Amino acid sequence: MMTMNIDNSIFKTLHKNEAWMYTNVSALSNVDFSTTTEVDFTEIKKYDIAQDNPFVVFVNGAFQEGYSRLEEGISINSDTVGDIGSRSDSLIPRGDSDTVTITGNQNKTVHILQIITGDTPASCFGNVLVHAAQDESISLAETHIAVTDQNHVFMPCTEVVAEQKSNVTIVRSIRGSKEAYHLGSLHVTQHESSTVQTHTITLGGKRVRNEVYAYLDGEHCESNFDGMYMLGKDQLVDNHLRVEHNEPNGNSREFYKGVLDENARSVFTGRIYVKEDAHQTDAKQTNQNILLSDDADVSARPQLEIYADDVLCTHGATTGEIDEEAMLYLRTRGIPKDAARTLLIYAFLNESLDELTDDSFRSVLVEELLSNLPGGEFIRALYL
Amino acid sequence: MTTPLLEITNLHANIEGKEILKGVNLTVMPGEVHSIMGPNGSGKSTLASVIAGHEAYEVTDGSIRFNGIDLLELEADQRACAGVFLAFQYPVEIPGVSTKFFLKAAVNAIRKYRGEEELDAMDFLDMVEEKAESVSLSIDLLDRNVNEGFSGGEKKRAEVFQMAMLDPLLGVLDETDSGLDIDALKIVAEGVNKLRSKKRGFIVITHYQRLLDFIVPDFVHVLKDGVIVKSGDKSLALELEEKGYAGIESCGSACSCS
Repeated sequence: MMTMNIDNSIFKTLHKNEAWMYTNVSALSNVDFSTTTEVDFTEIKKYDIAQDNPFVVFVNGAFQEGYSRLEEGISINSDTVGDIGSRSDSLIPRGDSDTVTITGNQNKTVHILQIITGDTPASCFGNVLVHAAQDESISLAETHIAVTDQNHVFMPCTEVVAEQKSNVTIVRSIRGSKEAYHLGSLHVTQHESSTVQTHTITLGGKRVRNEVYAYLDGEHCESNFDGMYMLGKDQLVDNHLRVEHNEPNGNSREFYKGVLDENARSVFTGRIYVKEDAHQTDAKQTNQNILLSDDADVSARPQLEIYADDVLCTHGATTGEIDEEAMLYLRTRGIPKDAARTLLIYAFLNESLDELTDDSFRSVLVEELLSNLPGGEFIRALYL
Repeated sequence: MTTPLLEITNLHANIEGKEILKGVNLTVMPGEVHSIMGPNGSGKSTLASVIAGHEAYEVTDGSIRFNGIDLLELEADQRACAGVFLAFQYPVEIPGVSTKFFLKAAVNAIRKYRGEEELDAMDFLDMVEEKAESVSLSIDLLDRNVNEGFSGGEKKRAEVFQMAMLDPLLGVLDETDSGLDIDALKIVAEGVNKLRSKKRGFIVITHYQRLLDFIVPDFVHVLKDGVIVKSGDKSLALELEEKGYAGIESCGSACSCS
């Protein structure tokens, strides 16, 4: 088995940086990632949810050819399209690991499965390069799942180049053990009239950092960066975005929403940067949170950095409890209090999942959401 | 003697410390339609909310008996299960919840409470089609989220449709006519009239006599400053239309309504 041997001292002081001030992962600096354990490969089959689609499997960071289905345009460890990641100020360690490159038209969603497993803590990178040439369309669904309760750490990095009029959709889901660390990044470069959507769904993990860096380098780019999270005891998610409008007439949306129970915490930092002369930029960022407990905590930091004068940029953050009027309405129809509450939480979160076009992937996420949701059984009986 | 469907005695209710209802008495027998009229701020909607179990209102005195039980002991959802239905003046939009699933949850919660078997998907859809037709409601609306993107008329028809689905003993209609044009008003009224029966009672809250041309009440009450100041038959509504609320004099001490 291949397990990455990383210099984990970097984790010790990460939270001393302003961009990491709410997210302390220093515990990782004491973890020994060097030992390897036997891996149970029978797990993989369970996560192969769309047998007609391309499937790329990594276990503890190593590509698993025997379990994967590569199709035209998907290759492993081939030449790269350029290092977009280095444009960002991301502090997440990068590593040479097996890399999957996706090119051409991929209208059947390419499923990427990254499993971390084993009885000792494992660390893995997981590099994905997506290159959509002119007019091409690529859809990608990533599952990052820790199947054992260890201080595992994922550091996946997906880089996207969307050329003229191309269309790229990426869904990244963080699932499984609530002990694992996930420090992931997405780096997106867009050219003229391209469309990119990303959805980052956080249901598992102990400390989850989701970075998105997007560079709108051409005119008329359309960009949607969405996120959803449902967290409970001792979990933290830190969604950290920087969207750079470098050319005029770009539209970007950041829309992140989540529900926090017990002492869960959410951090949202959304920086929109509009370069001089990037006129007619329309950029919006929104972060909505529902708190189910007095111990849950939210830090929302919407940030605008604008150097052009003819732009429309807005931001908004709401944090609240469940809508009492909606609760009353449901209850006057006979729905008991707990069920009404569950229904409203599910509705709030499911709005994000409804956006996902890949049915098999969406239903897996709905299932995982329901199993995390107190009273999820009631919804399952109603909908499924 | 028949048990009253609803018996409100000396009801006092506050919201945020402000007294709104100051001793309301009202008895509704099965099969009766009572209209409550009154100027803005007289407490009409508060009365509806208190009957439905809105937790923001505090009942400080008096009682409400419903079908022989103490209604004030029950939570809002239990009241619905026991047979109280409130058609909202402003039906609440609920993003992310489809009308169909919402109704299925409601119908089955109520059936469960009443000891009836829950409906399966097929029986539920049959019932939906039948009841939707009774208020000319397009089935397509049911795939939308609860009240989201509904026109004013659609919202009110959807309320009456929900009432038909939930089959209550008491329907409380809180200004169901507000914001409706005459055609929509007729459809809503027809929907309500189809639900009139010997067992079911209605409280129809309205500002205007117009609705009562279509839903003809057995009794009309005037609520003013938190008390019922006058009761009569449907001719009282016409009198109100003519003279306005200012022109209404309280009943004498012999009247049972105060």
